[in-house]
Amino acid sequence: MNCEQIAELLPDYLQESLKPEQRDLVDGHLQSCEQCREEIALWQKLALLPEEQPGPALRTRFKAMLDAYQEGRWEHRQLAKERKNWFPGFVRGGWLHIPAAGLAWAVLMLVIGFIAGRSLNPPNPADGQMAKLQSELADTRRLVTISLLQQQSASERLQAIAQATAWSMSEQHADPKVLAALMHTLRSDNSVDVRLAAVDALGRYHNQPEVRKGLVDALQTQQSPLVQVALIDLMVDLKETSVVEQLKKFEQDPNVNPTVRQRAQWGVRQLT
Amino acid sequence: MTNLLPDEELMSQVRSGVGEMLGVLFDRYQMPLFNFFYKLTGSRSASEDLVQEVFFRILKYRQSYRPGTSFRGWMYQIARNARVDAFRRQRPEVGLEPEMEPAIVPSDSAQQKQETQMLYRALLQMPEEKKEVLILSRFQGLKYEEIAQLLGCEVNTVKTRVHRALQELRELFHQPENARPATGKSLEGTFGS
Repeated sequence: MNCEQIAELLPDYLQESLKPEQRDLVDGHLQSCEQCREEIALWQKLALLPEEQPGPALRTRFKAMLDAYQEGRWEHRQLAKERKNWFPGFVRGGWLHIPAAGLAWAVLMLVIGFIAGRSLNPPNPADGQMAKLQSELADTRRLVTISLLQQQSASERLQAIAQATAWSMSEQHADPKVLAALMHTLRSDNSVDVRLAAVDALGRYHNQPEVRKGLVDALQTQQSPLVQVALIDLMVDLKETSVVEQLKKFEQDPNVNPTVRQRAQWGVRQLT
Repeated sequence: MTNLLPDEELMSQVRSGVGEMLGVLFDRYQMPLFNFFYKLTGSRSASEDLVQEVFFRILKYRQSYRPGTSFRGWMYQIARNARVDAFRRQRPEVGLEPEMEPAIVPSDSAQQKQETQMLYRALLQMPEEKKEVLILSRFQGLKYEEIAQLLGCEVNTVKTRVHRALQELRELFHQPENARPATGKSLEGTFGS
């Protein structure tokens, strides 16, 4: 056999996956061919190259990264727990899902009806009941929104966000629990539409530092191109220059969707 | 305690949010990955950065891991991409300055030491494409089928490349040192497209 024929067998010879008779053929050839013999010898010598140890800093850096991630997860679980504590009876009873939303709506309508009825007859200013009722109404609305944000159906979750958005028009201060639930939705809702709506709703509360931070962080974690683009647009609107570095990363990362890369490029131009 | 779960099971857990399991995968693969990058780049610091980048991407793109598929194949895919990206970011004007020096093994004879050194140099001189296939098959212990999947080519193409790589290694091994081309020059051809 000549070198050319042997060349076809050689790679499998190296990985010791040849049949015995083929191996004998190669061995026979090697006895007479110095060039091929040397190639085999080099392959074997490669094994002598020692395995290198990375420095200890590598593990430290990895651990820091993992800790940061775990901390994020921890917050996420904390938030879920907090939400449960909000209406422990419902959740522990296991009958929250659809019926609770219905019930909550019913309560809301009752309260609205009651207040509407009351407002037709001007209340006695000395009557503290009105204020109490209004606060109950706010609580109920919050409860409805949060419970709707947990629904199976994306359209119900969208409805909740629309509700929260509508309040933002009429109220100066958003309820922190609702905002926390919205931020959680932005981080972990599996529907792109719902996350997009959450970006929109949260954008209205951009003057709240936690919300702003949540939105900035979301730019790093969101994977969906649509959400990424929406966030970039929002950051440009808010003139949030702290994201320029992240946008530059998008620009350079070939794994990032081309549309997002383009938008990031545009964003960098707007913000710098 | 050693975790005996297969890579795929660990990665599936990471995918569903059990971040701790990435620590087990890190323990298993930081050395092979470091050596993969080190033999490709000849730089310790660049290799450490790349290993860190690979684990960061594993976490970031954990949802794109398809349960049941080979974790190692997926990981090396990420490793190759990270290498390409790093190379694009800091494309050197001149050849890379390899800082790679063979570790001193006390039992080595003088001749063996010299040979190891020559082999290192020859390996670093090789074009990226050939070097990579040689490293994957010889040091990372990947089967030709796995490499073919990773590179997106036929198994026979991988075998041909391994053989050609070995031929080139032999030539470089015998070349006098001053006749060698600048290191890193050949990297461009591989990733330019």
